Amino acid sequence: MPRPASEPAVGTTVGFSDFPELLRARGLLPVTTAAAGGPHHAAQTQATTILAFKFAEGVLVAGDRRATSGNVMVYDRADKVLEIDTHSLMAIAGSPGAAWEMARVLSHSFQFYRRTQLQEMTVAAKVRSLSKLLRDNFGLALQGVGAVVPIFATYDAADRAPGGKLFFYDVMGAQFEAADYATTGSGSPAMRGVLYHENTYGRAPLRSLDRDAAIGLALRALDTAAESDTATGGLDPRGKIFPVIKLVTAAGVVSVGDSDMTRMLPARHE
Amino acid sequence: MFEEPFRFVEAIANRREYIENELAAGSPITALAFDRGILLFTMGRDRQKLFEVYDRIALGALGHPGDIERLRMLAIELASTEGFTRSAADVSLRRLVNYSLSPSLKAAFEQIYGPPYLARLLFAELGTTASTDHFVRVDFDGAIHSNGNPALKKRPGFGVLSGTKRSETRMEDFLTKEHRGDHSLHDALRVARDAWVIGHLALGTKDETNPAAPFPSAAEIQVTQTTVLAQAVFETAILDRTRLEGPTYRTLDASDLAAMSR
Repeated sequence: MPRPASEPAVGTTVGFSDFPELLRARGLLPVTTAAAGGPHHAAQTQATTILAFKFAEGVLVAGDRRATSGNVMVYDRADKVLEIDTHSLMAIAGSPGAAWEMARVLSHSFQFYRRTQLQEMTVAAKVRSLSKLLRDNFGLALQGVGAVVPIFATYDAADRAPGGKLFFYDVMGAQFEAADYATTGSGSPAMRGVLYHENTYGRAPLRSLDRDAAIGLALRALDTAAESDTATGGLDPRGKIFPVIKLVTAAGVVSVGDSDMTRMLPARHE
Repeated sequence: MFEEPFRFVEAIANRREYIENELAAGSPITALAFDRGILLFTMGRDRQKLFEVYDRIALGALGHPGDIERLRMLAIELASTEGFTRSAADVSLRRLVNYSLSPSLKAAFEQIYGPPYLARLLFAELGTTASTDHFVRVDFDGAIHSNGNPALKKRPGFGVLSGTKRSETRMEDFLTKEHRGDHSLHDALRVARDAWVIGHLALGTKDETNPAAPFPSAAEIQVTQTTVLAQAVFETAILDRTRLEGPTYRTLDASDLAAMSR
């Protein structure tokens, strides 16, 4: 019978607290190595265009639904805003294959830590966990496949100033905390412009927006991105394909329903 | 010296007696189905005894804290890797206990040069309906006592764990009589508490199990509970059937327990 991975040597800690470490010990988390022969440019599926900003109740995270490969549209109902635990969201741009696996490892890591250590992982450690996964994926990203540029949004109730927290990453795993908003993916330059303008010269700063106003702004920004970027799905209310919008508040993660989005749709789509 | 068969049997018997003595003072744990899921109940002084294992699996344990930790970690690791590589729905208590925990416990118990596990475990797994709820007790020697045998005429909606066989039998007799799967949380807490007190009182007595022996009266139960509570606290958790996905385990808070102080 194989020795349980948790069986401690004398003088060491019982079990693991780090889930990826356990997966590696069991050979369940493949270590990616750089392939010989330099970069390959196989057509790969890409997910694009995420925006996130802090509003009055917490953080809003929105993503379009399109996944592309070169100039082929692979899927028009992709969900790129993933619920990691009751108070955290990860939104992805880049290779969905690598990103969904990262989300899976991350979500299991947080649960595993809570169950084994009998305490919640701190926000700092959660943010760092994603950073480590990106770092592990860097070999693949360097070869031109499997690059992921995620956004991580969470509600930190344990902080001295409880509230929404928003982080964005680069391919290598550097983590940056966003003060007000963050965007990623091919449609992001346009949205970044919209969000900067709204926050600085708009009627009210993003942080003061109520739920409906925040949803409305997210829809307008995605529509703006889709106007110039073919890889962004935008709004298609006639085909009943809505973007995914999720909110992280003190009460936890909630998904915004189609009816709420229909209500807040920009005027020209009504 | 252990090469002779007789010595092996003797060594095992000694070991069993030693472990049973060590565990005999273990405080009871009750797990039972109610209308919204499964309730786990115990009273304790200092150590946490109820734990979350996976989305739909909870654990109650008594014994040496170091051994409980090793077994708890093993269970969580197995469930988590299975849930990660396949899916949360593929994690099954039956497989966890039959294929991993029981063989590990038996091996440790019978390898007389190595230390055995001084622990007994009670697992509860929330089914999609109350009829598939699963309660399993795993002993220090790997013996399994489960409500999940399809040959059972009636599938009991509860599981108990205690320091002695007699105490467990008394609790089971009581629950067979008093427990109903459609209890509200309030009624379930009361039944679980009464079963706990009956198990607790049975720990102190030496006489043989007499199925016909009367259970303590409500007043006696109240007195015992008050005495115990002077030095201990309730520890309660539920597996919540109303949560359709993700973790269902949560500990009960003061408002849920308010009814118990009366």
